[in-house]
Amino acid sequence: MRPVFVTMLLPLLIVACRGGSSAPADTLVVSEAASLSTPFRAILDTFARRTGAVVQVENGASLELARRITDLHRVPDVIALADEEVFPERLVPAHVRWYARFARNRMVIAWTDRSRHAEDMDSTRWREILLSGDVIVGRPDPRVAPAGYRALLMYELAEQYYGEPELAARLAARTPPGNVRGSATELAALLAAGEMDYIVEYESVARAQGFRFLSLPAAIDLGDPGRGAEYARAVVRVGRSDSASGVGTDSISERRGAPILYGVGVPNAARHPEMGRRFIALVLSEEGRRMLRAAKVDALAVPEIVGDSTSRAP
Amino acid sequence: MTRRRTHVMATVLTIGASCLLLALLLWPMVALQWRAGLTGVRLLASDAELRSALALTASTATIVTLVTVLLGTPLAWLLARNRIPAPALVNAALELPLLVPHPVVGIALLLAFGRASAAGQALASIGVALTGSRWGIAAAMLVVSAPLYVSAAREAISRVDPRQEMVARTLGDSMSRAVWRVTLPQARRGLLAAGIVMWARAVSEFGAIVILTYNPRVASVLSYDRFTTNGLDGALPVAAVLVLLALVPLALLRGLRAPSSADADANA
Repeated sequence: MRPVFVTMLLPLLIVACRGGSSAPADTLVVSEAASLSTPFRAILDTFARRTGAVVQVENGASLELARRITDLHRVPDVIALADEEVFPERLVPAHVRWYARFARNRMVIAWTDRSRHAEDMDSTRWREILLSGDVIVGRPDPRVAPAGYRALLMYELAEQYYGEPELAARLAARTPPGNVRGSATELAALLAAGEMDYIVEYESVARAQGFRFLSLPAAIDLGDPGRGAEYARAVVRVGRSDSASGVGTDSISERRGAPILYGVGVPNAARHPEMGRRFIALVLSEEGRRMLRAAKVDALAVPEIVGDSTSRAP
Repeated sequence: MTRRRTHVMATVLTIGASCLLLALLLWPMVALQWRAGLTGVRLLASDAELRSALALTASTATIVTLVTVLLGTPLAWLLARNRIPAPALVNAALELPLLVPHPVVGIALLLAFGRASAAGQALASIGVALTGSRWGIAAAMLVVSAPLYVSAAREAISRVDPRQEMVARTLGDSMSRAVWRVTLPQARRGLLAAGIVMWARAVSEFGAIVILTYNPRVASVLSYDRFTTNGLDGALPVAAVLVLLALVPLALLRGLRAPSSADADANA
């Protein structure tokens, strides 16, 4: 009897695993930037309720999500990124033919009531407080998270705007490596836990987490789509260790200032592309934009499709 | 005839199942070495960040293991000799960190010893910060791996006959001296093996560490970081090096488990 039992067990195991890996036709797999996880929740719930689809969500930093498609061939039905520039840089056209710009965001300084000098923080003293030696300032890793290099770009723009030489370098130096984190949401968790006094963060994340935050001038917050040329005057160089070559040298990528725009698309190899298109149609609809705004995301009044418009956009 | 057929079938299934499991365990490691092993070894010479991460990982794991040996061996003896109140409760408490997902361990440590907690404020007053520091790495390694040491050390000590401790006491030794002179020398191979298992587990930790300390980067965090920044081709050589280095504690364990000449003589 025992060998028979074992013989039956193995095929059962294989069938069970096959059932788990091949998602049924009414499944929607969404890869979303960590800063979109809360704003997308209501839209995903609405979509699941209306279509009966099973929704599976993967969160991560935008560059990491792109890597999952290009390197690991883990292809979702929808990919939504905090940095629309990642689409042309890494995904279009080999992995995604088109994407939609659907929301904008701004960089802010966020803090909590527990932060040192919390009551003194305002638009005139923020630089002085961040530069003072007795506060802990965190920012995301510029090599991994768009919010990371945007924090440095915001510092550069602040230096130009306020006419304070070396301001960007001094602000950047106030964050030692130990206070640099992999994503904007990870940083927000540490601010909430009281591990940091101030963080450079997306406004949507600061609002969603209920942090106190300082809105910065439009000339430096990277939030105005009409100021693209102005933002482009700021450039930061982001280092990364180039182990792929096997020589362990550091390579530098250059990041230029641009308005913060979120992008969403359906990968070419998506298993359920129709589901993906239907979800994006909901995100771009008036109803979707209302839900995004309720979740503190500044949805664009007129979303814009970028890429091969002859393929099936929503 | 039927019995013989059943026997043959059972043998085939046993060998087949064993080979299948071994293939599942080994093939990913072999494939990794095949693809990137050589590049990984070359990388050891050229990549200062990798060497620094490996040194940080190995040294922190070693310190944490030594601290656990000091703190955990007395506890293991108490458990082995049933000299602790509510041993079942203590054993369960020791096993809990092994059952909890490791990012949860990191979050729990953050709440218990983070800057906002009373303990964290006391630590901060003496210059110890749990996040973004080596202290965070050490705390995470300790919580996820110390239970393995205590558990294995308890087994090693319980294999030493307690009557030998009694004999030493009748000859005038105090209990602690009896344990030091009689029990620990006999349990040393088991204790050493427990320490190696704990060290290896500490070295491979990722989930709890990354919650507390992203920088400075230990080897496991570096391998994940290389994937996110440099892609699969960037991560593979680092991953291959980590697998190769895992062979070191494995070889040490094999050496310890091989019967020594003294053991052979004793058995004879």
